[in-house]
Amino acid sequence: MRISLKYYTLKYLIIALLGVIAIWSGIFYAFILDEVNDNIDDGLKDQKIQIIRQAFIDESVLNTTEFGLNQFRITQVDSIQYQPLNKFENKMFFMEYDGENEPYRILTTGFIDKDGGFRKLEIRTSTVEEDDFGINLLIALFVLYVFIIVGIFFINKIVLDRAWSPFYDILKRMNQYQFGNKRTLVENNQKIMEFYELQNEIQTLVERNEHTFLTQKNFIENASHELQTPLAISLSKIDFLLENEDLDNKTQKQFIEIKSSLKRMKSLNKSLLMLSKIDNNQFDEKVLVNWNVVFKTVLQDFEDILSYKDINVSVDEKAQFETNANLYLIEILISNLLRNAIKYIGNEKKIVVIISENAFQISNSGNHIALNPNYIFNRFYKSGADETSTGLGLSIVQSIVKQHPDLQIQYHFSKNFHQFKVVSSNS
Amino acid sequence: MKILIVEDEIELQKVVQQSLEKEKYLVEFANNYASALDKIIGFDYDCILLDINLPDGSGMDLLREIKKLHKQDAVIIVSAKDSVDDKVEGLNLGADDYLAKPFHLAELHARINSAIRRNNQHGEKYIIFKNVKINPEDRNVFVNDVLINLNRKEYDMLYYFMIRPGKTLQKTTLAESIWGDHIEDADSFDFIYSQIKNLRKKLKQSNAEIDFQAVYGIGYKLV
Repeated sequence: MRISLKYYTLKYLIIALLGVIAIWSGIFYAFILDEVNDNIDDGLKDQKIQIIRQAFIDESVLNTTEFGLNQFRITQVDSIQYQPLNKFENKMFFMEYDGENEPYRILTTGFIDKDGGFRKLEIRTSTVEEDDFGINLLIALFVLYVFIIVGIFFINKIVLDRAWSPFYDILKRMNQYQFGNKRTLVENNQKIMEFYELQNEIQTLVERNEHTFLTQKNFIENASHELQTPLAISLSKIDFLLENEDLDNKTQKQFIEIKSSLKRMKSLNKSLLMLSKIDNNQFDEKVLVNWNVVFKTVLQDFEDILSYKDINVSVDEKAQFETNANLYLIEILISNLLRNAIKYIGNEKKIVVIISENAFQISNSGNHIALNPNYIFNRFYKSGADETSTGLGLSIVQSIVKQHPDLQIQYHFSKNFHQFKVVSSNS
Repeated sequence: MKILIVEDEIELQKVVQQSLEKEKYLVEFANNYASALDKIIGFDYDCILLDINLPDGSGMDLLREIKKLHKQDAVIIVSAKDSVDDKVEGLNLGADDYLAKPFHLAELHARINSAIRRNNQHGEKYIIFKNVKINPEDRNVFVNDVLINLNRKEYDMLYYFMIRPGKTLQKTTLAESIWGDHIEDADSFDFIYSQIKNLRKKLKQSNAEIDFQAVYGIGYKLV
């Protein structure tokens, strides 16, 4: 799982904040509670002074032996039990109001009355509200936590969005970038140093790669070019030798064999040259091409060989298929597909062509073995050791398709038919 | 018949020259732009074989010069480039034909022959061998002056044989020159055989005295 940078930082912030706030609220809660208890105790001590003072004035106070209205009781004790020091404790008392035991804070102390008798004084006060206070405090802290997280989330998002916007911009341009088209990477005016360096590095990389690729492409084109002349010389010389009537048949046949090897080289060379020309965008003039018409023209060239090989071609024109394309390239594409179909025709000897509104499909009967669609378009890929194949026909088809962004080529194998389909996404 | 070869590759120029001289052509050559221009201005040729890439200029410029001088010479462009643009440009400039390197000598002969014929109004109109006569202008074939019906490919094939009777035509050359690259080597023998058989049948029906003789493993010749 990949997460966005924004959420990546947020993940750690949430965990860290949870810890910090938990520790802080624990300490805060303890302090506050201590302060509250201190307040209660002070209140109880003050009450003690008032009760004792009252007891000296009004003796009837001494008769309060049960907690009632006054929340205190006074009991007579002997000198041994007499305990004049203040002692605080928490105790549970039954409360009639809700029929349960509730927490109370109790101050136990002692005093000597006017007559010199030892008295034990117990004062209590309910701490129910203080408990509620703790819960409220916890809720408040939680709300605070949520607010902080939400706040940080939005601040984080806004700040990161702003700070990283050049980065996403670079990403977008890289996405749109096509090999051989440097226009998408415009001049570098990044204000943040890191992004400036990033774009700089990317541009250098792209330029270096393009340069390497270009040199390589030119090399193929030049090499193919340079090979034409020696090939022409060799072929012509053999032709010339073969016109010599004195040669015996055996020698002639050997020359024919040399010639056929040279011819293979010639067609390889021609295909390579074609490929590099296509890849170098040398056929960029586009017109509205009607595939139905082009196909029929191409088919005428193949008529003799088709009838000689006894191949049945059925053409189903469901509609006129028209795209914006280079006419010459489409001719080559169709003729390569047709040649491919003829070459790998199975025993059934059937070619089916279906032209619809947005697709041109050519299928040929095969030998019950599907081709691997991952390799068939690769250069020099051959199914089996085929002597006559250059292994470039289908790569030329693919290069042509790549020259037309609205076209796509698909391969399927079904019911013993190899199916090549050129689909247009524009109609 | 005078032919000028403008070609900077000496080896290629030599073999073409030898082959053409065997056909009784008078051959001269130039291996750069300057000497080619000299020759073109100074003499008339029936046909000029023009290489596009010359060390000191472009064959296209030579072609422009030829047209500027209102020369009647037939021009065949020979180029290693085999590009559609070159072809279109050359033909637009008034070249008679375009031949991509590498080529078969047989094809070169055929192209030169038809280029000269098309260009030369006063010359021999027909190609004649025994009792068969071809009129290349309207692609008609006569046997004993009776028109016979051949389809386009059959005519092309017969033309290749007729311009050089007695010479062996290789079946791969035939296949490539007439049917283009559509035929694989493996198929060409049987394919050409069946085409020759059809043509032979048609010629026989009209009592032609010519026949195709198989040269085992290589091709056919017209006898």
